[in-house]
Amino acid sequence: MKGMERVAITTALGGRAALIRRIILATIMVLLITLPLWASEGVVMIVFLIMLYMAVGQMWNLLAGYAGLVSLGQQIFIGLGGYSLAIITEVYHLNFLLAILIGGVISGVFALVISQPIFKMKGIYFAIGTWVIAEALTLYFLNWSFVGYGVGFNIRTSYDLSTNYLYFLSLIVGLGSAVLVYIIMRTKGGLALMAMRDNELAAEVMGVELYKTKLAIFLVSAFVSGVTGGVLYLNISFIQPTAAFSIDWTVAAVVIVIIGGIGTMEGPIVGAVIYVVLKQYLYNFPGISMIILGVIAIAIILVAPKGIMGTLQAKFGWEIISARRSTKNIKQMVHPDCG
Amino acid sequence: MLSQEDRTLLTVENLDVHYGDLQALHNVSLHIPQGTIVSIIGANGAGKSTLLGAITGLNKPTRGKITFRNEDISGIHTHDVVSKGITMSPEGSRVFEKMSVEENLLMGAYLSRARKKRKELLKRVYGLFPVLKEKSGQSATYLSGGQRQMLAIGRALMVDPEVILCDEVSLGLAPVIVKDIYHKIVEINREGMTFILVEQDVKRSLKYSDYSYVMVKGRIVMEGPSSQLPEGEVKDAFFGISKYA
Amino acid sequence: MEVLLQLVINGILLGGLYAMIGLGMSLIFGIMGLINLAHGDLMIISTYMSMVLALHFSGNVFIALLITVLVMMVVGFFCQSVLINRVLDKGAEPPLLITFGLSIILQNVLLLIFGADAKSIPTKLAAQNAITTPWFSISAIYLINFVISILVILSLHFIIMKTYFGRAIRATSGDVVASELVGVNTKRVYAVTMALAMVTASIAGLLIGMTFTYTPTTGTQYLIFAFGVVVIGGMGSLVGTLLGGIILGLAQMLGSYFFGMAYQLFFGYVVLLVILTFRPEGLFARTK
Repeated sequence: MKGMERVAITTALGGRAALIRRIILATIMVLLITLPLWASEGVVMIVFLIMLYMAVGQMWNLLAGYAGLVSLGQQIFIGLGGYSLAIITEVYHLNFLLAILIGGVISGVFALVISQPIFKMKGIYFAIGTWVIAEALTLYFLNWSFVGYGVGFNIRTSYDLSTNYLYFLSLIVGLGSAVLVYIIMRTKGGLALMAMRDNELAAEVMGVELYKTKLAIFLVSAFVSGVTGGVLYLNISFIQPTAAFSIDWTVAAVVIVIIGGIGTMEGPIVGAVIYVVLKQYLYNFPGISMIILGVIAIAIILVAPKGIMGTLQAKFGWEIISARRSTKNIKQMVHPDCG
Repeated sequence: MLSQEDRTLLTVENLDVHYGDLQALHNVSLHIPQGTIVSIIGANGAGKSTLLGAITGLNKPTRGKITFRNEDISGIHTHDVVSKGITMSPEGSRVFEKMSVEENLLMGAYLSRARKKRKELLKRVYGLFPVLKEKSGQSATYLSGGQRQMLAIGRALMVDPEVILCDEVSLGLAPVIVKDIYHKIVEINREGMTFILVEQDVKRSLKYSDYSYVMVKGRIVMEGPSSQLPEGEVKDAFFGISKYA
Repeated sequence: MEVLLQLVINGILLGGLYAMIGLGMSLIFGIMGLINLAHGDLMIISTYMSMVLALHFSGNVFIALLITVLVMMVVGFFCQSVLINRVLDKGAEPPLLITFGLSIILQNVLLLIFGADAKSIPTKLAAQNAITTPWFSISAIYLINFVISILVILSLHFIIMKTYFGRAIRATSGDVVASELVGVNTKRVYAVTMALAMVTASIAGLLIGMTFTYTPTTGTQYLIFAFGVVVIGGMGSLVGTLLGGIILGLAQMLGSYFFGMAYQLFFGYVVLLVILTFRPEGLFARTK
């Protein structure tokens, strides 16, 4: 469909399309909230994981798909979040919700600290830089007595928690991250991000403060990833450096976003569902699920680089959650006199 | 001077080229007889480079046909077009910066047919452009604009082609140097090489070529033997004035 | 004092090996502008392959190496032609992500076939010393690694600088359009370059296997080393690559001396991060 035709059709459908979208979203919300009532514990745990992996994916998508920062270091913040939970509950005996929040803050602070050197690295150097920092953290923690070296330790607070409690925590994190991304994209900051992604030089000329915007996004993504890490480890109940700071977390994020659709809002959701379900199905053959996911990811990059949702969006104009305001509003933003 | 027996070496028929939704060439047709210098005149954005790109396989045509020696070469890979005997001195010269002048020239003779004769070809290039021989050991990055242009043409000669396309050889160069380069082109042409020159300089294009095409916004608006095209009208067409707009 | 001297020597010798590991990556990065995130894993695959073949041919590492090199050349050529060449003009991310995907697949395939236990390629050379003096000794395998690495680096230098095809490689890295216009099939150049990189990776793989133990995830560690070599040494400079390797080797050895064995890798990483921050184009990069 040519661009102009598609806009015309969307505007014509206008109200109807928006209504359908809202009904779909509302239904999904209701289903999710009532899940423990009608689904088995196994299914609840699967959705639990989907929510959390979706958050991880959303954050990577925010960085790579919208801000143009390809990071291979998300595991830094997941690990820090996990360890914050572990240490604050086990050593300081404080409430775990507090611990998770503090984990997010610690991740944010760490992100601020490394932002100095890491933002001097461009493109691929940035990507590898984040990975190296993660590996360095692994080594540091492996040799740190305070965290029990490589032996790791148990997180016992979660032992008393019910599955449903964990589930609702994951809902908060997962949906919260989606809402957060939605809000960010709808503000001036979001427009700035998309401008930056499409052409950094042009964006800068228009006054977008590249550095501040990138930094803000980086910090937000770190905070949320830290919180997600905390909730993830609440469930895993045992933490150890090599696994906590493993590249596997970023692998999950990358695969989820690529398959789902980079730079789209629904992409990480679709990707997370595929990722978690596949891994659960092939639980007894962990290697095979990763091989399949890797093959699918490569196939997608070759054949449908926009991912599942991206390709659907491009071909059929399907956008359930739109990051863009309707053109009418954009015109009004730019020229208040335009009608 | 065109004679009746001149064989058409290269034909472009009804060529359309699109960049996404934007159409850059509309129904362009050319005939390039062997041994002639043909010029394509037009302003920036008229589509001249796109046309050269289509002939050399850098752009894919969306419609139309390009024939070389009765063989359809539309849309084939650039290196295959070159192996058939067409090469280009691209816009901006595009010399290999990190290589010496001589290595640049030797790179021109990469394909086996030319590689066998490379010593002979090199001698010929150095004869035409003595300054290149002077600087043969120097890195190409230190050459002046005019010398780069000579190097680009020399490199194209090393391919031992039948047709050389020249994309804006005069761009950014002093008139004295441009004149020298054009004289060399005429000299090479006398030895049998066919040239297609793409230029913005109307006067020079008409002076040094046998046949000219004028392009405006992706279309051919005027063509004819260069000596018979009135300069004033060509300039009008060039600027998109009156009946050519 | 002798300990320090020994560490310096070991650092230099190891550095040669690291340089060769980084060489393949430097080649790809220099010619295509692509960082092959699967480079380490491709190297480790050849290590495993050599191990299996060596066992099959009763310990004859030469035959094992020969077959491995040939297989990896084909694999590299294939990966480039079928996978990477297709997306090279689509921006910087797709090729990178394809190599990332490849890395995931390779590691898990190895895990599936060989399991997570550490393996090694048994050789008598590891325990022997080639040179023994009162002040230091040089382990035989370290010396062999160094010598072979130098030979490989010099050979590659020769190919790139003195042969017509090497010139084509240099031309392609300089200007793709101009190269095509003199008849160079640039996509094939990329594929052959990848094959060459695989040759260096498989030789390095065999040497690694004989010197250290390895697991399916060891590739990641060497990927970072290779990247370190590329970054420290700068692109396009073979001497730089060699020096980059040596600096990394020295950093690792000296790190272990001053901060303890456990921190040797850590120190290497820190050096890498510092250089990435202040001089990402490398210490020895040629100016454009």
